[in-house]
Amino acid sequence: MTKALAILLTLLAGLLSVPPLRALIEQSMVWHMLVQMPLLVLAGFCAAVAWPQALGDRLARFNRFGLTGFMLAQCITAYWMIPAMIDRAVVLPSADASKLLGLWLAGVVLRQSFLKAPLAVQLFFVGYGLPMLAWLGFYMANTDLRLCNAYSLESQLRAGRGLVLLTSALGLAWAYSVRAQVLPPARASLKHP
Amino acid sequence: MRASPPAPQRGADADPLSGLLASFGACLLVLCLGLVALFIATENGTAYTTETQRRSAVARAPVQVPDLRVFDARGQAQTLKQLLQQDERVWIVDFVYTRCNTLCLALGTVFQQLQQQILDQGLQDRVGLLSISFDPENDNPTTLNDYARRMRMQSDVWQLVSLQRPADRRQLLGSFGIMVVPAPLGEFEHNAALHLVTADGQLVQILDLTAGKQALNAAAALTAP
Repeated sequence: MTKALAILLTLLAGLLSVPPLRALIEQSMVWHMLVQMPLLVLAGFCAAVAWPQALGDRLARFNRFGLTGFMLAQCITAYWMIPAMIDRAVVLPSADASKLLGLWLAGVVLRQSFLKAPLAVQLFFVGYGLPMLAWLGFYMANTDLRLCNAYSLESQLRAGRGLVLLTSALGLAWAYSVRAQVLPPARASLKHP
Repeated sequence: MRASPPAPQRGADADPLSGLLASFGACLLVLCLGLVALFIATENGTAYTTETQRRSAVARAPVQVPDLRVFDARGQAQTLKQLLQQDERVWIVDFVYTRCNTLCLALGTVFQQLQQQILDQGLQDRVGLLSISFDPENDNPTTLNDYARRMRMQSDVWQLVSLQRPADRRQLLGSFGIMVVPAPLGEFEHNAALHLVTADGQLVQILDLTAGKQALNAAAALTAP
């Protein structure tokens, strides 16, 4: 089930980079930043849920407490939030390919790191990463400056507002997962058999 | 996000300290590589947008403008090179489409002010204005003429041309680094700016639309006697 979902999400996110669906991400920043990019991370995340051991075991000794994975995911997401790199992904197929691979990988290592990280480490990275996204969203939604040459200002304003919403949703999802993490194992396993 | 208690650190060394050291080392390596990537992507943290990078690239190394066939409001055909080389003037170039109702009007106003300043300061022998249409499918001498009249262009200062071959549009916009995207109401949006082009066809500097005065000074300086 999870494997099927992981494959489906990966295919879906990948297809958005191929015509005819590519027109969506070429014309709308919302489709690019708020649909395809999160879908890629989610697909990687689901893949790591489906194949947890295979992906994590060998590298586990380099990822104690999930530190390295969080750092890698942080760098990859920050890179693809740079407006010039978003433009490049629209214009250059090679840049687009590395975006697909990178963000999917970010999802994989995020999942691995959440499994290993104590709450304090999670809080550190979530508390740093989400405000970064929210700040970018507010900026995109409130500036008169067109940040991407590939998108109209109108498209950018909508993407900015959407990014703030998405960030809020991610924060809530994490808060919810914290609840499951701190509950006694018996009750937690009742909720998540 | 997580349902089970922390998984045991499988594969970690028996010695907890050496396991941690390996992780710290890996983490530091990832951080360094990440910072290098971010630095390269943003030109050492100075340019986060394609527009800034386009301008700094031109400032570092001038770009040769392609020699494409164009026609003007009188229907007269020539090449871009012939147009630019007609005299010693440095050109301030922008891109328009004549059906435009929003952004190009702002751009038109900027150019109208520049035209006035050039005449006021007697710079018409040293600085010229050139608007190039990126909408060759819809352009003909009549539409260009209407636009020129609407903008009160004086042809000895401000010229307007369009491409003879619509297929050249890609090459033209590509060489200047202009991206045109569709906007609401059938309009276009593009990275509008003031482009300084010398008589020998070199794009040497790109300035903000709001920097008309600096553009004029820079153009005049390039042709200083």
